[in-house]
Amino acid sequence: MTKKAKTRAADISVTITALILGCIIIFPVVYCIFGAFKTRVEFGSYPPALLPDSFANLENFKEALDKTPLLRYMLNSLIVACLGTAVRMTFSVLAAYSFAFFDFKGKKFLFLVVLATMMLPGDTLMVTNYLTVSRLNLLDTYLGMCITSFVGASQMFMLRQNFRTIPRALRDAARLDGCSDLRFLRSVVLPVSRPVLLTLCVQSFINLWNAYLWPLLVTNRDEMRTVQVGVTMLTAVGNTNYHLILAAVTLTLLPSFVMFIILRKNIVKGMTSGALVG
Amino acid sequence: MMLQKNTLRRQSGWAAQGPIRRGKQIKPYLYLVPILLFAIAFIYYPFGKTFLYSFCTVNAKGQITGFAGWENFAYLFQHRNFKIALLNTVKLTAMFVPLNLCVSLGLALLCNKKRRLSGVYETMFTLPMAVPMSAAAMIFKILFNPTVGYINYFLGIQLGWFEDRKVAMYGILILCLWMGMAFDFLLFLSALRAVPDQLLEAASLDGAGFFTKLFRIQIPMIMPTALYVICTNMVLSMMTSGPVMIITEGGPSRATTTLIYMMYTSGYQSSDYSLAACISIVTFLLTFGMTALALVFDSKRNYYE
Repeated sequence: MTKKAKTRAADISVTITALILGCIIIFPVVYCIFGAFKTRVEFGSYPPALLPDSFANLENFKEALDKTPLLRYMLNSLIVACLGTAVRMTFSVLAAYSFAFFDFKGKKFLFLVVLATMMLPGDTLMVTNYLTVSRLNLLDTYLGMCITSFVGASQMFMLRQNFRTIPRALRDAARLDGCSDLRFLRSVVLPVSRPVLLTLCVQSFINLWNAYLWPLLVTNRDEMRTVQVGVTMLTAVGNTNYHLILAAVTLTLLPSFVMFIILRKNIVKGMTSGALVG
Repeated sequence: MMLQKNTLRRQSGWAAQGPIRRGKQIKPYLYLVPILLFAIAFIYYPFGKTFLYSFCTVNAKGQITGFAGWENFAYLFQHRNFKIALLNTVKLTAMFVPLNLCVSLGLALLCNKKRRLSGVYETMFTLPMAVPMSAAAMIFKILFNPTVGYINYFLGIQLGWFEDRKVAMYGILILCLWMGMAFDFLLFLSALRAVPDQLLEAASLDGAGFFTKLFRIQIPMIMPTALYVICTNMVLSMMTSGPVMIITEGGPSRATTTLIYMMYTSGYQSSDYSLAACISIVTFLLTFGMTALALVFDSKRNYYE
């Protein structure tokens, strides 16, 4: 065998292995989608079949939407994720601008104060944060559901790194021409950093969209639940409604997958660059 | 262009020499007010309060009623559930971190070279990233169900993945691996692809085989990424609570109770805030200790000899 043929054979075998592994990895998702088309009877039969009898059976989706306020849940999630992302990004941009363009007393210390928040995992602070939020009468409100995620230290750090590539002289020149800092931020800094901003927004949106524990704690009323919490409440309706649960889960996965497909490149970039900050 | 550059330089020089007016000096702080305010209110204050709670007696409304000293901790350490939860969490972490490292690094090595179908299987490997934890937990709950689930039938076994006391934690582990792998795979893949080709080619010319290249070049080069993955995964698995809450509710007979899950049940269901605070302090210290250890261990080594 020539060397070329050898590498070709290796490539083919690696590709096949990778495809088989890939099928195993996506199997739960495929199973969920197939299951969403099955009837209750099909679920009860043994041996369990992988494929549903027909893909035209849309009854499950209809019933899932009828029985649970899934669309309302999704709307709630959307509002919380957008609000949280908007505020978090605003705060991060302002702080990053200050750290990148100003010299002031205590800069290093304050920078550390913000960064050190990354060391305190939110899960361990939930109990006291819950008490605070309930005392502020923010239970069952959109604000309460995202107020604890307004501080994004990693976002701030990434932005500051990016802002520092903009020459300071440019800002000084702009100021001499009568351009205020806010205007400089809006019309020079932000447009220049658009790729990073977009990536960080996506990353933060997905974080908030996928949040489970905190929204669960601060919501009691059914119509305020986010989609991640709502989906898990379906078991309470009846434990044997597997076909309905899978239909509902499939529906909730749709927006996630759309986001994943559209923004895949951005997500990947954001995650890898954010991670290598060190 | 030349002119512009010149004026720019002159002006900036002028600005640098010019006196800084006092009014200007408050501005940098103003920009920092929002983030600092919220960092204090929702991160530092709760941390301080949790610390305080763990040394005090606290009533069901969250008000401090007295000083307890080490009593809360003493109570916690002899609490039967705590020992179980601590053991479960540490066990999960001890299994999750190395397994996840091997699987995600293995997949990344498999994909490292770009081939015709790279895009297809890379997307397959990263797909779990698009599935939120709660959805994944619901799917696995049904998929691994002993009566209607497909896994037992497919493997031809009778195993109560989430019902059997001895197996339940492994069920949770599989779910955690499935959810965590994709992200780490991407990190490793981009780290591996950043290794300069010349290095590998030069090594090949010198007769280095696959494993020599792997252990002498690739692994040392991606060590910073590996360290990051190890640290974040330690934190992640020490904080495991979602899957437990959705699938097993800590059961069967506390086999899957983790520290954060116990904190949740004692804090919300029993309103025992001082106990919950103690658990969160212990979890925090453990996690902090582990990551610190990993970093110290790392700083003693020299990768690029």
